[in-house]
Amino acid sequence: MTVWPEERLATVDSFNTVDMTINVGPQHPATHGVFRMVLTVDGELVVDCEPYIGYLHRGLEKLTENHDYRQSMGWWDRTDYLAGMACEFAYCMAVEKLGNIQVPERAEYIRVMMAELSRLLSHFMFFGAFGADVGSFGTSFVYAWRERERIYDFFEVVAGDRMFPTYFRPGGLQMDLPEGYEPLVRQLLGSLEQGLEDFDGLLTGNEIFVERCRNLSPMSKERAINLGMSGPMIRATGLAHDIRKAEPYSIYPNLKFNIPVGKNGDVFDRFMVRMAEAYQSIQIVKQCLDLMPGGLVLNPDLPKTLRIEEGECYVRTEGTKGEYGVYGMARGGNKPYRMKLRSPSFCNLSALKEMVVGHYVADAIIILGSLDIVLGEVDK
Amino acid sequence: MMLFADALFGLPNWIDAIIRVVLVILSMTLVVIYLTYGERKVVARFQQRLGPTETGPAGLIQGIADALKLVTKEDIRPKNADRWVFEFAPYATFIPVLMMLMALPFAEDWGVRDLALGMFYVFAILGLNIVGILMAGLGSGNKYALLGGIRAAAQMVSYEIPLVISLLCVAMITGAEKDMNGTGTLNLNAITAFQETRPYIVLQPLAFLIFFTAMLSELHRAPFDIPVAESEIVGGCFVEYSGIRWSMFQLTEYASMWGWSVFGSVVFLGGWAWPFGVDAHWSIQLGTTLVKSFLFIMLIFWVRTTVPRLRIDQLMSFCWKVLLPMSLVQMLMNGFILVYDWPQELLALTSALGAAALVAIIIRRAMRRPSRDLVGTYKTLGAPAQ
Amino acid sequence: MTSPTTDYPGVAALVHKHLGKIPFTASKHSTDAVIHIDAGHFLELVTGMHDRRELAFDYLRNVTGIDLGEEGLRCVYHFYSFKHGHAIQVDVQTPPDNPHIPTLTGIYAAADWHEREAAEMLGLVFDGHPNLKNLLLDEDVRIHPLLKAHPLQKMELEQGIEDTSAGFKF
Repeated sequence: MTVWPEERLATVDSFNTVDMTINVGPQHPATHGVFRMVLTVDGELVVDCEPYIGYLHRGLEKLTENHDYRQSMGWWDRTDYLAGMACEFAYCMAVEKLGNIQVPERAEYIRVMMAELSRLLSHFMFFGAFGADVGSFGTSFVYAWRERERIYDFFEVVAGDRMFPTYFRPGGLQMDLPEGYEPLVRQLLGSLEQGLEDFDGLLTGNEIFVERCRNLSPMSKERAINLGMSGPMIRATGLAHDIRKAEPYSIYPNLKFNIPVGKNGDVFDRFMVRMAEAYQSIQIVKQCLDLMPGGLVLNPDLPKTLRIEEGECYVRTEGTKGEYGVYGMARGGNKPYRMKLRSPSFCNLSALKEMVVGHYVADAIIILGSLDIVLGEVDK
Repeated sequence: MMLFADALFGLPNWIDAIIRVVLVILSMTLVVIYLTYGERKVVARFQQRLGPTETGPAGLIQGIADALKLVTKEDIRPKNADRWVFEFAPYATFIPVLMMLMALPFAEDWGVRDLALGMFYVFAILGLNIVGILMAGLGSGNKYALLGGIRAAAQMVSYEIPLVISLLCVAMITGAEKDMNGTGTLNLNAITAFQETRPYIVLQPLAFLIFFTAMLSELHRAPFDIPVAESEIVGGCFVEYSGIRWSMFQLTEYASMWGWSVFGSVVFLGGWAWPFGVDAHWSIQLGTTLVKSFLFIMLIFWVRTTVPRLRIDQLMSFCWKVLLPMSLVQMLMNGFILVYDWPQELLALTSALGAAALVAIIIRRAMRRPSRDLVGTYKTLGAPAQ
Repeated sequence: MTSPTTDYPGVAALVHKHLGKIPFTASKHSTDAVIHIDAGHFLELVTGMHDRRELAFDYLRNVTGIDLGEEGLRCVYHFYSFKHGHAIQVDVQTPPDNPHIPTLTGIYAAADWHEREAAEMLGLVFDGHPNLKNLLLDEDVRIHPLLKAHPLQKMELEQGIEDTSAGFKF
């Protein structure tokens, strides 16, 4: 039984209600993994929210410190497990910066292509899962899964694995693309575009969907910056910030693409920004195909064991969820002294409390979904 | 109380009644088992999947296998649940649905009892459904269940009003039929027989729209599946149930879906009478009713796979601000036309105008969305060069 | 990493120009300019960096704690300015026996979880943090896994398996 606090009973002379706490997660269909939040609700209204994370903590940074540079690749795949290659990209760039390793140009193009396909993987997952959060009974989920399956099939052709390919290497790539990959990719892109249109028709065009997402938990630019948000979350507020443009890396300066920007930073804008970004990613992959140079894909001068004397770097990439940064520190030997992951989901999630309080329980689920967290990245 | 024409084989009335009840219950069980299979198959096709394929030819005995599995599962009761409330909730939801099936005319002479106040009986009995759901919500000792139960109570109580008014509109216009002399009837069999030449959906499309929407809400089907919202409160009031009690709820859900569909086809689509007439063979009449009810169910599945879920306040405002005024307008229009003995075509015309207005409102709201050219509508900026 | 000098590379020169009164040294590594400062002047420096219009470091990207063995713990902050598009790294070195750093939660809301993570992983103490409890680890666990003294494979050590060094020997 709930005990009514004396002081509250004393202050309120009319009909009195008592707040109730609801535990959402770690096993809950809307938490996208093993995330837990304790909502304090007054009827259907959320008055407090306390997120708990760490259920998927695997000690990524400790493991990286204790393994050879190349051995750790597999761990970093599993941070953002919806887009493994984008994480490999950042990790490899960090090792390359530390060891001052050159990467062949062909490898860079293939990397960008794979990273953008990973972004599509992640965004499709968002559309599907977000649709399910809003309540479209799995239809959006299955639509998303169909397109993701096509990308995974291509990954399998290229790297031999689907989710965790470990395809990148410090200094290049594990192996070159297979013969006749180009028609494969072009066909893939065509079907992805069709899939995006399907989503556009299913969700964006749906009155109930728009009605539930529009003007939900709007956020100002200044507040988003202060809260440390990044990626589509901050672009939805109207700030045209994309690390691919602001602090360009790899071959992104050679490519032409736009940065979609929202207006109010509400849930609908977050959805639309990701939708528009997916179209841009398709354009980037097309350009990569057109510009793909020949040559090697792995720096041939690399020693068998990477030993890096001394160095420091903070590599930031535009990961699928936002700024995916890797701080690396080397002090000799074949292992890094410290590798720290700045995961975008972690930073975006830390703003959850502020965004959720004052909304309905049903909206709290949608807001959590709109953050597009992936727990492998949050919990490291 | 009126009886159907003749007792079967000249048996005494009470034995006849028992046989009829058993027949209805058996056919209900069969229909429910194949509705679960059908739903999985239909929804799968909507989602470009295959659905059940393994158990039996084309997965046909999947429903029976599921039912067996559910019945043999352990029946768990949480420690802090209110024992009697928790255990009787499934029956409290199931019994009204069963009682409702007793009053439905499946063909001219096919039903358990032909009640003079059949329509009133159906929606009065179905209003009791909510008691079982509230019992499940409050008795489970679970906060998700509590939220679900309260949501269900609010939703069902408010949607009952437009539902009843839309049915009332139909009951009103039965008074304009031949030989009725201005007095309408609530007898479902009679209402069906009146529709021999044209179903009442032609005369009352607006009432039909309102009825269908409110019916979805009463059934907790998408987009009104708020009390059981899977992604928010994980099944709502059913979250603590397992095994046979959970399957009772499942049975209730599908049986009431079928019952509502038969009811809707009887009231609006002409039931067994249209288009083959009251003199058709009983098998044709039965087949007509069943086909119409399955069309209804198909429509429910279609809506379910397509639309997301409403929020509880949007749901309430849709009921009180859209459906209720619309149903009142429909009733007023009917009243005017009937009082002044204007021709029946006017009924169809005004109601169709109302339905068109309702659809237009919804379409107009839907058109406010951004155009399909996503990148164009959103400001695309080149970021400052480094 | 070059050793700290009194000449200020890159953005550090800008910081020195506007916040010259605060004593710090600077260096540069492969991606950013670095400011080295002690914990005593840290809050003053960050307040200045955040508030001065010419600097406007409005975005806290990342907080990293590092165990440098005998030198003590170091906390590495990465800042970015959306207004000017420049980035900087600030190293705060704490002595081995006194790992206290003032919290940044008053300036950057983003610092909350970052600091909680650094605190639980390395035992850094952020003075003034409103809610400095464990984030990723269990609430009642009082270990600091990212300290170099913390073994990688504790279970193996307890079971008496001797070779616990990870990875292959090359």
